[in-house]
Amino acid sequence: MIKYILKRLWHSGILAIVMSLIVFFGLYVVGDPVEMLSDDEFTEQDKIELAIELGLDKPLYEQYFTYTGGMLQGDFGTSFVYNRPVLDLIMERLPATLEISLLAMVIGLGIGIPLGIFSGIKNNSRASKIISFFTTVGYSTPNFWQAIILIMVFAVFLQWLPASGRGLTNSMFGIEWAWLSLNGLQHMALPAINLAIYKICMQQRLAKSGTQEILYQEYMTFARAKGITRNRIIRRHLLRNILIPIVTITGLEVGGLIAFSTVTETIFSWPGIGKLLLDSIHMIDRPVVVAYLILITLMFVFINFVVDVMYAFLDPRIRHQK
Amino acid sequence: MNNTPLLKINNLTVTYPLNSEGSDVLKALDNTSLKVNSGQIIGIVGESGAGKSTIGKAILGLLDPPAKLVSGEIIFLGNSLVGLSEAQFESLRGNQIGYIYQNPMTALNPVLTIGEQVIEAIEANTDMRGKNAREYAIQLLERADVSFAEDRLQKYPHQLSGGLCQRIVFAIAIAAKPKLIIADEPTTALDVTVQQSVLQTLIKLSQQEQIAIILITHDIGVIAETCDYVYVLRYGKHVEQDATNRVLQRPTQDYTRSLMASVPLIEKRLHRFALNEEDNLEDISTGLHYLQEKQTTQDSTNKPILEARNLSKIFITPSSLFKAKQLFTAVKDVSFTVRRGETVGIVGESGSGKSTIGRMILGLEDITEGSVIYRGKDLKLITDSTEHRAHCLSMQCIFQDPYSSLNPRMTAGENITYGLQVHKMIGSSDAKSLAQELMALVGLQREDAEKLPHAFSGGERQRIGIARALSYRPDFIFCDEPTSALDVSVQANLLNLLKDLQEKFSLTLLFVSHDLAVIRQMCDRVIVMKEGEALEYDSNENIFERPKHKYTRSLLEAMPKFKGLAQT
Repeated sequence: MIKYILKRLWHSGILAIVMSLIVFFGLYVVGDPVEMLSDDEFTEQDKIELAIELGLDKPLYEQYFTYTGGMLQGDFGTSFVYNRPVLDLIMERLPATLEISLLAMVIGLGIGIPLGIFSGIKNNSRASKIISFFTTVGYSTPNFWQAIILIMVFAVFLQWLPASGRGLTNSMFGIEWAWLSLNGLQHMALPAINLAIYKICMQQRLAKSGTQEILYQEYMTFARAKGITRNRIIRRHLLRNILIPIVTITGLEVGGLIAFSTVTETIFSWPGIGKLLLDSIHMIDRPVVVAYLILITLMFVFINFVVDVMYAFLDPRIRHQK
Repeated sequence: MNNTPLLKINNLTVTYPLNSEGSDVLKALDNTSLKVNSGQIIGIVGESGAGKSTIGKAILGLLDPPAKLVSGEIIFLGNSLVGLSEAQFESLRGNQIGYIYQNPMTALNPVLTIGEQVIEAIEANTDMRGKNAREYAIQLLERADVSFAEDRLQKYPHQLSGGLCQRIVFAIAIAAKPKLIIADEPTTALDVTVQQSVLQTLIKLSQQEQIAIILITHDIGVIAETCDYVYVLRYGKHVEQDATNRVLQRPTQDYTRSLMASVPLIEKRLHRFALNEEDNLEDISTGLHYLQEKQTTQDSTNKPILEARNLSKIFITPSSLFKAKQLFTAVKDVSFTVRRGETVGIVGESGSGKSTIGRMILGLEDITEGSVIYRGKDLKLITDSTEHRAHCLSMQCIFQDPYSSLNPRMTAGENITYGLQVHKMIGSSDAKSLAQELMALVGLQREDAEKLPHAFSGGERQRIGIARALSYRPDFIFCDEPTSALDVSVQANLLNLLKDLQEKFSLTLLFVSHDLAVIRQMCDRVIVMKEGEALEYDSNENIFERPKHKYTRSLLEAMPKFKGLAQT
């Protein structure tokens, strides 16, 4: 177990180094931060001074080692654009993204799995066909288009929910959260639903195919032959077995939501981390982009580890593997 | 004692639609009747497709659509079971009628503990709850001869052996003291030494608890040992019914007679199975010529063609999240020789390493230690790749599973000669005619070489597999359980074919099987294996008539005894 964790850490370390190399040199090719930061009034001399101030006058490999050296001591550098520590910037915005991502995932699992089990069991019923039709549509229409429809219906015509911003926030553990107030929750609703639509559709399909596979296993028939009621068979014998593939996908999806809900955050002006990433790439704010992507890499590694543990928890065959 | 039977089935017909409109149907059961008295053990015997399992499912209302109960009556304790609601069936299942599945490993849910699964059955069918239910579960397991019953409640199915799992399934089945148990092939998935004791437990339980049993099986030996009365089914139709002894010894129907003749005997070695085969011997001279051409260049028989010296195989399982790296010794220091023209058998239970030996000889598995001397040369030491390939190609294999061993997208003919063409041993026009000749040689129609594998039955596919092996004019053929996926009558046909081919072309075979009776019929010399070790290596007669090792004796004793047809 300890050996396994050490191996995992070693792998994630390599991954983080590769990631930093790709991003660091990749951004260098994209453009010069000095040009992005300077306005028309800047003279050549000003630009050189700015470059020296940001450390951009040194050779690239030296810049890389200075930056990564700092990172090893917990210093993720200072943003070129905001002139503030990168870590502060990220930590300011991460909670906003976390709360809508997790809410979206809860909605996705809570609605998608029951729908999937239902349509798996009643495969040939009309209701199942209707559900599958809608999830196919939800799965295949673009996310931004769904967002615009949501805004039109709920914010413009019905005027039930706000379409942009994060609303009121309250402090908990020294971090500002929106979900602690009704106003904040209202603001969260549309972006979270927007993210959730896709998840509902996917979970429905996963749960449906899982259900149909498990339903015809002999232990399901044997459970019926034991005289156990249908509801109990679904709760105990079916659910746990279909959760095994669902956990894997959900793990990856949570990571994806946190890291890349950029489009939704942009449309709803949600001050999350996705928007920060987009702005930073635009401005070639290298420290922010590199630090962000390394953090995301580590997060994925961590999520995968959690998935492995849950997997073993759900499936005893993995726990006792020979 | 009243005379009304416990269960009575009258003229039951169950169909499966063959097309979407349902105009064309397959009759899984066709006008079948049977009767069970309380406490009685009856057998239903038949080959695959006979509708045996359908009867069991129909009784319990477990027929899933599209299967349809068309007509007939099922009367249990005076009440009709046809057309009951799911809720009514739920109160009947487990409570009045228990069910035992063929494969205990798939009948138990892999993610729930044994305790959860036993207790759930108790709570569903009795008033016991909580601690009482748990104590009763322990009692039940003990009654089903499960040792360390209390500890076993915490285990998961995959941590226990197949035999133990089946005993647990028994415990679940008897939880509510049902009047009747339907046992669908209860021992088929188990090793022979386990089969015997599991079967005894089942009989003991039925006597103790006064439970009637319907035993569904294809294994005539099992029927002979357990049942008072037997029904023979074929294609859903009733063939014959009578007291077990009479059906087995003096069958009145042709089908039953040929079925009995197909059962391989352990008492004596026969030259062939006495089947009524219509030998449609057409002209197969080209095929014969092709194979015999090689024969003339061969050395005389009786010289060792293959020698295995101190073979060992160790598998290494890599470390994972919860387990360190592990070594598993599959084969331990096994030596034997195979002489030209003879059949050497390897027999053992699952996990004894018997297939691994063959795979090492063929080079499909690396040899951890030891060497294989083939045609006088150590295969490991041959450096010339052309020579090495020639040796390898002259060793062929007949696989266990006829369904996965043929490429489904190639015709039968292409499957047979594909390898030859890849190795440029034959041109494409010759390949076609050779494939047809070989098809005829193994008893199939020449024209059928154009058909795809799915058009053939399991037995026919296995014949194609034999033709493919023969196409290389092999000096040595490894037969890896070639008949264990087949019905007994198909098996008898196939074994007869192998014997004929061996006689004609003096083939050398290494024959692996878990079935002692098949080995008895097929092999000249026999290796008995257990847990990777060769315990005994001797002639057929010595192994079966004068076994030296006590494991061999226990294997022989465990075999279900079937006396065979009375000689008339």
